[in-house]
Amino acid sequence: MAKPVDLSVDFCGFKLRNPFMLSSSPVSNSAEMVERAFEAGWAGVAYKTIVSDRLPIIHPSPRMNGYFGGGKKLLGVQNVEQTSDRGLKANLLDIMYLKKHWPDRLVMSSIMGFSNQEWADLSKASEDAGADMLEVNVSCPHMTVEGSGAKVGQVQDLVQKFTETCRNSCRIPIVAKMTPNITDITVPALYAKKGGADAIAAINSVAGLSGVGVDDWVPNPNVFGKGAASGFTGPAIKPIGLRYVAELAKCRELGLPLSGIGGIETWVDALEYLLIGSTTIQVTTGIIHYGQQIVESMIEGLSDYLASKKIARVGDLIGKALPNLHETHDFDLSRQGVARYDLDRCIGCGQCYTVCKDAGGWALDWDAQKRRPVLDEKKCLSCMVCSFACPVDGLITFKEMPPTYRRADTVTLGKGLEKQLKAKI
Amino acid sequence: MKKSNPLTGMGKGYTLAEAMAEADRCLLCHDAPCSAGCPGGTDPGTFIRKLKFRNVTGAIRTIKRNNILGGACGALCPTAQLCERECSATGLVGGPIQIGKIQRALVEHAWAVGFRPLEKAERRREKIAVVGSGPAGLSCAAELAQTGFSVTVFEAKAKAGGVLRYGVPAYRFDPKFLDRELKDLVALGVVFKCSAPIRGPGAAEKLLKKGFAAVFLAPGLWEPIRLQDSAPSLPGLFTATEFLCALRDGKQAQIGKSIRGKRVAVIGGGSVAMDSAESAWRLGARDVYLVYRRSYTQMPAEEDERQDLLRSGIHFLLLNQPVGYRTGARGRLQAIQLVRTELGELDASGRRRPVEVKGSQWELPVDAVIEAIGAKAVPGGEGIAPSVKRTRDGLIPVDSKTGATSAKMIFAGGDIVRGPALIIEAVQDGKTAAHAIRRRLQK
Ligand SMILES: Cc1cc2nc3c(=O)[nH]c(=O)nc-3n(C[C@H](O)[C@H](O)[C@H](O)COP(=O)(O)OP(=O)(O)OC[C@H]3O[C@@H](n4cnc5c(N)ncnc54)[C@H](O)[C@@H]3O)c2cc1C
Ligand SMILES: Cc1cc2nc3c(=O)[nH]c(=O)nc-3n(C[C@H](O)[C@H](O)[C@H](O)COP(=O)(O)O)c2cc1C
Ligand code: SF4
Repeated sequence: MAKPVDLSVDFCGFKLRNPFMLSSSPVSNSAEMVERAFEAGWAGVAYKTIVSDRLPIIHPSPRMNGYFGGGKKLLGVQNVEQTSDRGLKANLLDIMYLKKHWPDRLVMSSIMGFSNQEWADLSKASEDAGADMLEVNVSCPHMTVEGSGAKVGQVQDLVQKFTETCRNSCRIPIVAKMTPNITDITVPALYAKKGGADAIAAINSVAGLSGVGVDDWVPNPNVFGKGAASGFTGPAIKPIGLRYVAELAKCRELGLPLSGIGGIETWVDALEYLLIGSTTIQVTTGIIHYGQQIVESMIEGLSDYLASKKIARVGDLIGKALPNLHETHDFDLSRQGVARYDLDRCIGCGQCYTVCKDAGGWALDWDAQKRRPVLDEKKCLSCMVCSFACPVDGLITFKEMPPTYRRADTVTLGKGLEKQLKAKI
Repeated sequence: MKKSNPLTGMGKGYTLAEAMAEADRCLLCHDAPCSAGCPGGTDPGTFIRKLKFRNVTGAIRTIKRNNILGGACGALCPTAQLCERECSATGLVGGPIQIGKIQRALVEHAWAVGFRPLEKAERRREKIAVVGSGPAGLSCAAELAQTGFSVTVFEAKAKAGGVLRYGVPAYRFDPKFLDRELKDLVALGVVFKCSAPIRGPGAAEKLLKKGFAAVFLAPGLWEPIRLQDSAPSLPGLFTATEFLCALRDGKQAQIGKSIRGKRVAVIGGGSVAMDSAESAWRLGARDVYLVYRRSYTQMPAEEDERQDLLRSGIHFLLLNQPVGYRTGARGRLQAIQLVRTELGELDASGRRRPVEVKGSQWELPVDAVIEAIGAKAVPGGEGIAPSVKRTRDGLIPVDSKTGATSAKMIFAGGDIVRGPALIIEAVQDGKTAAHAIRRRLQK
């Protein structure tokens, strides 16, 4: 029998059976939903952001707009959802229920105050309800309540102040959830740390516009004739999420555990977030599109990956890609390569030729008789755009060239040019 | 270029990338109807979901845990009648998800990368004997080996596989593919004894006495049903059983002589008739007539098989009942005697009965005939297990929940129980019996 691998991770002193959590959103809206997710295998939850009952939360309708790429492939979702639909008491009771029945799962209470006092009250109430941790939501980009959400997250002093208020109101660990709608994410994170945060979650949704109605000219989602930029999430934001998590992980001064979020659907996505420095990962849009069951393949896929790599503990993977993450100026430019064509498998569509001519290095010729591209390696820029267009998986790959390889020189301005130009005219 | 043998060369399956692209079309149905469509417990809803979410190893595990012959079934199951018929994507552009092809690709991928989804369990003391290495026997053996039993498979023929090796033509199922799938059983510790028929009075009961805790009987149906009871033995007259078996058993050149350039009639309308007709065609017959006594839509063979045959140029001679053969000098076959039929009232199978048209007898000149009208239990087979009750046709009745026969600790499954059935049904019988055997022995 193969030795079982250990998927458990330690996050701020809490041992999770695996790194996979629901993020704060409609997928974590009630105890019933979360309980089903726990049954499916999720190890923890950032419960849907709760607020005090003082300001009524009325949701715009409709709430979301899908962003599709080719057919019904959902690349992302734009939402204008606010905080919880439900009353504070109902939510606190649900948190209590979850902790009672699922003591081994991480239940994080996500809170948003609309005043300093509210941050204090919600922290205390969450701790009293039994929440293991607090997630401080200073990152929702589309709150209808003015001066809340990401508006707070973009002002360092407020991040620090409200985190501090929470810190002084409860003893459970505090996770500050960051907005990506900012230039340098380490700045608010460092202020959150100053305020007493024990960990950072990133990212919340990216402000975006997923489409515009071409008949009515209303941006989507069309809320009775009005549109607005609002939170965009899902696979399309994964590159942004990975980048921000990596920057947080690289920041020595910060040195806090991270919960990675943004566009995760598969164990591979999750693994990438772990490798770049997350200890746990959180998911919303993947569940919006496919349901909670995706966790089954996240668990099995990651376990098999660890077994195949002979790595016993998932914890040993965290941050493993960070030493390989550099600035672009660190690249070794003396090593060069070109595209490699496995023409035995070519089906003769010629898309590579089109894009090489229209967007690449003009390195391809077209053999019209055989319907095959002919590569001039000297001209190939290794931009690889041909490989994106090619419909045959793995036909066009990258190969390194020997040190003697010289790419055909780019033309530089010289004396002879003017004469040549005239000759052309 | 090497000239390829027309009787081999099983078509290429999907690559992993193609399988993933196909899986991407899956709608991830709630309560997946495909998974309810398999008589062998295959769960495409789960393995396609896993593939879609890049859990390739998990998808392979789901397939192989349920069915040790996942590769064979992916290649050979009549999926259009099973899982794919239930697919919700049927009404969408692109049609049903190609579940069989995805399954085959995943199993082949596991072989290519050396991924072993099945693990040996802790060894138990008990030994189990499996008689017959067709799909039923293999499935039972694999299931028991995975729970730790020592399993010995006794096979009468020189190699294991049953119909998969000595029936299905190689152009549909490559012996190398079968060998690869058999390796997965060997890896589980199953011991194969080939050229080792269980024979003689009470041989099955003797296995129990010799220390086997249970016996699973899966000898299949290897006695061809003949057109005439007193079947003549004529040069050029074959049964599908012997014809197809000979092609897989190194006697291709020999049998090719009676077929190449000749006029051949194949009698029957089922899958075996299709395999026989296509094999004859590939062997180079000048004309192949498929003679069937009912109409086109009543043929039991799959629609795509029938279409393939029609397209390749095989003549369908429908509504004709063969009644005999005419021979010439030295007993050589010269013609098949036929009577035209028309469709009458419904019969027991719910199809309209073929009724002979009086005075319509005619002759089709042929050089060879392949009778493909069914197979039954080998006569005398009951002798090896006299304590096991049989039906009049020699089939073994069992309790469908356990595969138990009338004799203690003797179980049975596959075609010997169901009559001519499917690979996946035989696989299911093997598992059912294995579970029952385990339960009995745990008590
Ligand atoms: C030509 C042909 C093509 C087919 N194509 C398909 C297809 O494409 N898809 C599909 O789903 N189904 C197909 N079938 C049906 C399918 O192959 C059978 O339903 C299945 O093989 C039955 O499995 P089994 O294990 O019961 O028997 P078999 O496969 O018949 O195996 C029985 C084995 O037991 C051995 N044996 C018999 N007696 C003894 C003994 N006394 N001692 C030791 N060994 C013994 C035999 O030699 C044989 O190897 C086809 C059948 C035929 C004949
Ligand atoms: C409809 C919707 C509602 C959300 N509500 C909240 C919320 O109440 N609190 C919060 O912190 N994040 C909220 N988010 C953001 C998610 O928790 C998560 O950070 C973001 O969706 C990125 O992850 P994903 O790509 O897996 O969806 C919401 C996201 C969506 C799509
Ligand atoms: S999923 Fe559809 S039915 Fe359900 S709440 Fe949303 S809009 Fe309504």
